[in-house]
Amino acid sequence: MTPRGRFLLATLSGLVLAGLVHVGTVLLIPGLSETDALSRAQSSETLDHAMPVYTLATGDTPAPAEAWLPIPDPSVAVGLCAYDLADGPMRVSARTGPLMLSLAVHGRRGAFYAVTDQAAVRGALDLVVLTRAQYDEALANADDNEVSHDVRIVAPERRGYVVVRVIAALPSQRSAANAAIQAVSCTVDSPDEETKDETKAGG
Amino acid sequence: MKWADRAARARAAAAPGTASAPGGRVIAAVREAVRRASTVSLLIYALALGAGLGLVSADYATSGGYPFGGVAVGAWTAWPRAGTVGADPYTRAVNARRGEIPLAIGEGMLLTAAQDEDGRTLDAACTYAIAGITPPARAWTVTVAGRGAASPGQTALREGFTSTEILRERDGRFVITLSPTVQPGNWLPMPRASGPIRLALRLYDTPVAASAGTLDRTGLPAITRTGCTG
Repeated sequence: MTPRGRFLLATLSGLVLAGLVHVGTVLLIPGLSETDALSRAQSSETLDHAMPVYTLATGDTPAPAEAWLPIPDPSVAVGLCAYDLADGPMRVSARTGPLMLSLAVHGRRGAFYAVTDQAAVRGALDLVVLTRAQYDEALANADDNEVSHDVRIVAPERRGYVVVRVIAALPSQRSAANAAIQAVSCTVDSPDEETKDETKAGG
Repeated sequence: MKWADRAARARAAAAPGTASAPGGRVIAAVREAVRRASTVSLLIYALALGAGLGLVSADYATSGGYPFGGVAVGAWTAWPRAGTVGADPYTRAVNARRGEIPLAIGEGMLLTAAQDEDGRTLDAACTYAIAGITPPARAWTVTVAGRGAASPGQTALREGFTSTEILRERDGRFVITLSPTVQPGNWLPMPRASGPIRLALRLYDTPVAASAGTLDRTGLPAITRTGCTG
């Protein structure tokens, strides 16, 4: 092989390698990223309530620096609840008010479910995220006489987060929107409580 | 061999006394290196080329906005799949790098615009009229932002309009005037003195998100340039 041929072969294999590295890097970025919403949500210490991600500016108070969203909507307050279904099913409870509210469940691959306050029953929206096994268990334990208003969603992965968005249509509603984010509760439905209830009911 | 002849000529050109331009000398040196390269050095060259080009191109494709997946409708680009499980790997990588929480399909849809109806880049020194109607949605917001890093220490008078606070015509249509100077009606101030800007239209709780391909440009507000200062 001539030197030029060898050089061309090396360049060609370098380009093929570049393509492989490019595809591999793009596929690996979501998993390795430490600045994505899932990693940030899991690093938060807030328990039982949604972590405010983007708080709306009210009066003289500007939007705080904790906001990491690249181009946030200045009239939509955003909160996050991270879940790890190994701890048990995740229950997100929101009370609907005059402001429009939406809940979206995100996994590692993207959002797989979203519901707005129009789905609320008597002013309450209860979303339960669970694994397939936990869902089957909940169905098996369900009491036929008791009507459940829970929206049950089977998550494809163990880890993820629930996004709460509240829209303040007018600047005067912004503090109410911030409060509505804080009022959303995110709790782990522990299986112990359910069994306790059952023993109580049985005995 | 043709190549060997050329290399010999290059060597002759590179010889002291006959060398003219430094560019020619560099080319000659490269040719010499190619001719003498061992298998190991060619292997290292291929590996370095692959790693370097692959990483740089991956970084370029995933920094900034979504590279593809948008639906162009007039001046606007809709991103219906940016937040879904069906998002392409580039969109997911962009979201992960920026820490973006995209809107899910049942939640709403994002539309962005960086150009006006005539295809000119939106400029902070110009005045634009954003006029028309929006697709059906429970609520929508129009926001303006500068591209790139925000200038610190400057709080904007107003960053956007919501569907509730906007002033409308009798037939439900609206006109937002995006201008660096004060305007009557729905005045949206420019976020910066100069440079390119971008508009974002977010539709919340809209049926359009599931069928963005059916969007028509008459169903979206038109962005027309009405004048420029300086």
